[in-house]
Amino acid sequence: MTATNWDITELQGSPRRQQREKRVQAVVFSAALVSILLSVMIVGSLGFEAIRYITEVDLSRLWDRGWFPRNGVFDLKTLIVATLWVTLIAMVVAVPLGLSAAIYLSEYASVRARKVLKPVLEVLAGIPSVVLGFFALRFINPNLVESWLENANSSGNMISAGIGVGILTIPLVASISEDALSSVPNALREASAGIGARKLTTTTSIVLPAAISGLVAAFIVATSRAIGETMVVFIAGGAADTALFASNPADQGLTMTAAMASLAAGSDEVVGSGLAYGSLFFVGSILFLVTMGLNVLADRLVRKYRLEY
Amino acid sequence: MAVATPTTVRDTASIAESLRRKRDVKGVAFQAMMFLSLVITLGVLVVLLFTVISDGWPVLSQRLGGFLTSTLRPDAVDAGVVQGLKGTFYLCAIVAIVAFPLGIAAAIYMEEYAPQNWLTSFIQLNIRNLAGVPSVVYGILGLTIFVKGWGISSITGGSSPLAGGLTLSALVLPVVIITAQEAIRATPQALREAGFGVGATKWEVIKDHILPYAAPGILTGTLLSIARAAGEAAPLLLIGTISGIITRSAPWYDVTQVQDRFTAMPTLITSWAVQPDTGFSVENAAAAIVILIFFVILLNSAAIMLRNRFESKRSG
Amino acid sequence: MKLRFLLTPMLAFALIAAACGGSDDAGGSGEDGEIFVSGSSTVEPISVRVADEFFKTNPDVNIAVNGPGTGDGFKLFCDGETDISDASRAIKDEEASDCEENGINWVELKVGIDGIAIMSGPGNPIECLSFPDMYSITSPEAEGVQNWADANELNAAVGGSGDLPDAPLTITAPGQESGTYASFIEIVLEDLLEEREQDITTRFDYQSSANDNIIINNISSDDTSFGWVGFAFAEEAGDSVKVFSISEEEGGDCIAPTAETIADNSYPIARDLFIYVNVDKAAEKPLLAEFVDFYMDYGLTTAVTDSKYVPLDDAAMAETRAAWSGR
Repeated sequence: MTATNWDITELQGSPRRQQREKRVQAVVFSAALVSILLSVMIVGSLGFEAIRYITEVDLSRLWDRGWFPRNGVFDLKTLIVATLWVTLIAMVVAVPLGLSAAIYLSEYASVRARKVLKPVLEVLAGIPSVVLGFFALRFINPNLVESWLENANSSGNMISAGIGVGILTIPLVASISEDALSSVPNALREASAGIGARKLTTTTSIVLPAAISGLVAAFIVATSRAIGETMVVFIAGGAADTALFASNPADQGLTMTAAMASLAAGSDEVVGSGLAYGSLFFVGSILFLVTMGLNVLADRLVRKYRLEY
Repeated sequence: MAVATPTTVRDTASIAESLRRKRDVKGVAFQAMMFLSLVITLGVLVVLLFTVISDGWPVLSQRLGGFLTSTLRPDAVDAGVVQGLKGTFYLCAIVAIVAFPLGIAAAIYMEEYAPQNWLTSFIQLNIRNLAGVPSVVYGILGLTIFVKGWGISSITGGSSPLAGGLTLSALVLPVVIITAQEAIRATPQALREAGFGVGATKWEVIKDHILPYAAPGILTGTLLSIARAAGEAAPLLLIGTISGIITRSAPWYDVTQVQDRFTAMPTLITSWAVQPDTGFSVENAAAAIVILIFFVILLNSAAIMLRNRFESKRSG
Repeated sequence: MKLRFLLTPMLAFALIAAACGGSDDAGGSGEDGEIFVSGSSTVEPISVRVADEFFKTNPDVNIAVNGPGTGDGFKLFCDGETDISDASRAIKDEEASDCEENGINWVELKVGIDGIAIMSGPGNPIECLSFPDMYSITSPEAEGVQNWADANELNAAVGGSGDLPDAPLTITAPGQESGTYASFIEIVLEDLLEEREQDITTRFDYQSSANDNIIINNISSDDTSFGWVGFAFAEEAGDSVKVFSISEEEGGDCIAPTAETIADNSYPIARDLFIYVNVDKAAEKPLLAEFVDFYMDYGLTTAVTDSKYVPLDDAAMAETRAAWSGR
């Protein structure tokens, strides 16, 4: 053959090359399928035991005087009220601070200030939750909560835990809110300034309303995160493995997550007999469904503002 | 806006005059308030660091070396964290080995190969949802599948670093995928076209052009995931770590310890923090926290610096 | 390049894991050098000290000790997952039959004595409580009682003085999985429960924890709280809690728990501490047998006293050693 005589297959690549293409595609596709497998495993590992639990449990025991899994008393309102208190307090801390930080960073801070401040916020975001738990128990509870409220439980309570969870979620609120604020087109700000509005008016009447779906998303994601936070409440919530129903946030409280951790903590795996073991999966399922619902909702809102601008 | 439609006739000069004279008190106050919130937030970080360092100071100043090298012991003054460090090291190593290749491969598929169909959008939705699942739920996954799962438990050895590492891999996988996807999406289209133009196959373009370009972004995500895995305690509580004593501390290089009973830094901190014996609950727990935070902040800062450097390089 | 760099160690790792996995059994305590002890958190400190000391002369052994509670410990023990089960009460019939079903043979070894301390917060004015007093606030009949005074009617009915103070009552104590819980029922409540035809249990509506330290934390935070833990933990807590003197009958002698009163049986709420050893595993694993041998020496003496429990008297100690050598 002469050099000028090209075979068309050579242009399409050697069979080996093409085979490798197929192999690679198969590998990366199966990697993507692993995420589906994960979801299936999560739902499976939760659902199987949870369904068995709900069919075996005496339903009247789900509305009783407290959470005593080893005695067969599984009062859900004890866990739900504690979860709501902790989440509410966390949001009272995280939303104003996180949103203000986001407004400052997006609307006021100079480029140089942003360069310093944002990484510091990100460092705060990286602090492990056990550390916040320790901080809430050893600093926030004695120095803040107990000095305001004399009857606050000194071995931990829902207020301290809530503040700890709140601190943990500030960076999350700040980062999602800032994304939402900075995706508001500059044209809106310029138009507002052009007709003589002050910075304050522009921020509160133009930018914030324009970013509202993103800000709501930030709030929802943070709520979901606070509901799912375990270690802060486990360490600083003050409740032992069981809890009587308590509606006062200055008392010790057992959230859904802390109840799960308590069933497991200090033991080598979770052994516990029968229903106590099942309750772990039942509470886990509720937690899974609630947080997933919130996340899907937030996801829709985020995509909404992405579409708008 | 009221200013835009003046009811009284004023010339522009007088408007400018009045604006100059009247200071925007509300605006300044608002800005100050926003700034104050940021300062409070950062102040919390400072107070937190100060609290743990001062609580842990007796240990950090007097016996840091011993604390880092001794094992779990009955008395607080002898106890150390070396087994926790090894446990956490192996957990992170397993996350790096399992979650990173998987996550990056999945991201490559989603960005470069996936057709636009229902399956792709389902996978994408699924990944986003997985990222929001609470860590304690991943603990349940680990307990049922990796610790007790039929057949799997004989490979992981029950409550072992391997079971924990696989659980944490599942936990960080969605985050790894999402950050890697963002990094890959940020590579210029021209890079692909140039590659295809010279006859490279899709995989060759990905391997030789896209991945190197996206590497810093991917690396940032992976570093953040490692930091997250190092600090997670809730899944490990469900998997079951030892808090009483483990006498042997296998050498660092001995990989067979991934199948043994273990403890890790976050679980050590948890079990120490809730004891009333202040030797454990304050001094040892705080010192262990300082060590854990040190590594986590180191990883986070590396990730942030890496990202900032490449961001400014590309945009500049 | 990049991917190959990541994939190679992953593959190597998987191979190593698989290779080791083949030879290892699921419990992880099958090899000779591996000893796994679980069970009572009350006995845990003794076993931790024995393990710590034994390791000094046997650096090849790997002993892991955990303390989830006596009941959970027996569950693991009878599943064959642990070599030794710490227990702060004797094994129950249903637990023993669990073990039998699974073909687990064991020997029971008494290692020390622990008093149960009945406590409140440091400012509590009460000095002495009787069994009827405790019955009237902790029995199933007391469910819902959240003030000491609310229990007075019941208190008088079961032979108490009926003059408990008007103060809020919060109870924190070990949970069902704990040996301390079972011992409290057996010693303090059982007679009265039977007399009044009640279930052999406590009221369920109190805070419970497997971690004695958490219990002490909760009790010490409230001056009118009530709870019980092992004497060792109460003594360690020092002045942060108030430990009551106890009399069996109303108006009887009030005895405060001390090492002496517990050892000579004059303090009424004391219990024996045990370890249960899987004898088949001890036969298979020389190091496990050696460890228990060491337990019979160092464990019964130094470890027990260092953990602030009361050692057995000479006769009981000889009995325990005989039980081990005659297994």
